[in-house]
Amino acid sequence: MAIDGLQEASDGALVLAIARYHQEALAEAYRRHGGAVFALARRLLAEQALAEEVTQEVFLRLWQQPDRFDPERGSLRSYLLAQSHGRAVDMLRSETSRRRREEREARETAEGGYDIEREVLDLAIGEHVKEVLDRLPPDERRAIELAYFGGLTYREVAARLEQPEGTVKSRIRAGLKRMRADLVDAGIGGVWSES
Amino acid sequence: MERELTHDEAAELLGAYALDAVEADERDAIEHHLNECPRCRAEVADHRTVSSFLGSAGGRAPDGLWDRIAGSLEEAPPELKLAPVVPLNERRSVSMRVGAAAAAVAAGVIAALGAQVVHLNNEVDKMSTPERADSALLSAATHALADPQTQRVSMRSTDGQLAAEVALTPDGTGFLVADKLPALPNDRTYQLWALANGQKISAGVLGAQPRVVAFRYAPSGLSGFAVTNEQAGGVVSTENAPVVLGTLQRT
Repeated sequence: MAIDGLQEASDGALVLAIARYHQEALAEAYRRHGGAVFALARRLLAEQALAEEVTQEVFLRLWQQPDRFDPERGSLRSYLLAQSHGRAVDMLRSETSRRRREEREARETAEGGYDIEREVLDLAIGEHVKEVLDRLPPDERRAIELAYFGGLTYREVAARLEQPEGTVKSRIRAGLKRMRADLVDAGIGGVWSES
Repeated sequence: MERELTHDEAAELLGAYALDAVEADERDAIEHHLNECPRCRAEVADHRTVSSFLGSAGGRAPDGLWDRIAGSLEEAPPELKLAPVVPLNERRSVSMRVGAAAAAVAAGVIAALGAQVVHLNNEVDKMSTPERADSALLSAATHALADPQTQRVSMRSTDGQLAAEVALTPDGTGFLVADKLPALPNDRTYQLWALANGQKISAGVLGAQPRVVAFRYAPSGLSGFAVTNEQAGGVVSTENAPVVLGTLQRT
């Protein structure tokens, strides 16, 4: 994991350079993570223009407030993806896009249902990550997928799955913990073993 | 949700919170708890790392998006763009004047250098933020270079005209001191490569006029460092001849 470790860790030096107003450092952060930041926003929002807006906001924020990234808490990629996800979910929950989403979902229901399984299989996630996801108990996996990729709150997930809210809340947390343990076992824990 | 959450109530919500799957009022209550609870903060960080693996779909951002982002940087607050440009030697003398206080701070800074969250004591607080950051970096690099446990790698060009130095501290922080490299045109950048296990691994894009840069390194298999001249923005891999190159002296 030495090579991955170095690449992950040099993100810290990158953010240091961003904080010193080196635009090339922001360009390097964008080169490394811009595609993933955009792809995640695009997956949630299903609209290119909105995903571009999210991507732009995420990198502008990194430029203006680089100190919000704390390398002790995870990689730069993890930070930027969390920013992208949060911003995309905000947009998704705003009034207009809620309406748009409902229309889209109505359409998809008519076409045979919302196929979250297919969405996940589309992902170019590493084999380990996919295996780890496969090993989750189906209830945990479905709750996580609906929340993360569907942009639903746990209450909405509960309603969708016709399960108690408390159960869904616990399943999301338990599933994430299980995945973390499996990822560390699979040697993808570089991010954690650094600290 | 006006009342404060108990630890257990907050903890139950952390998974959903990390996936942005809570209502706005719950989010506020959890964040209030997180301010006071390092254990819950650590758990959220772990959940976010897991979810980032799920979200790492890769793919390409649309062409032209970076140009729009770079264009909008011009609208950043003016004080951000007015970092005083001070020659390295002058800056070093500033750090030296601060003396023992800065050296003590620098020890802490080395630990914190992964990010630019550099908090110096009030003694050096008079400087503007960018300058303070630079001075902290310089103090840390200066301190590292003075430490007998630091391993130094001297890099030279083949004709011996150009030189740069790398200092590797035992905690995994490296400093590149490259103030003698000539400035490149704006469309070029220097890039630092760690040579390890027969491969060149990018350790950072340095900009057209690097002075002192901090980076993290993994000691295993490390055999040396090289700096190349690349197109602005840097490259994933390079076949360009190094501008300067140095190998690790095993002791």
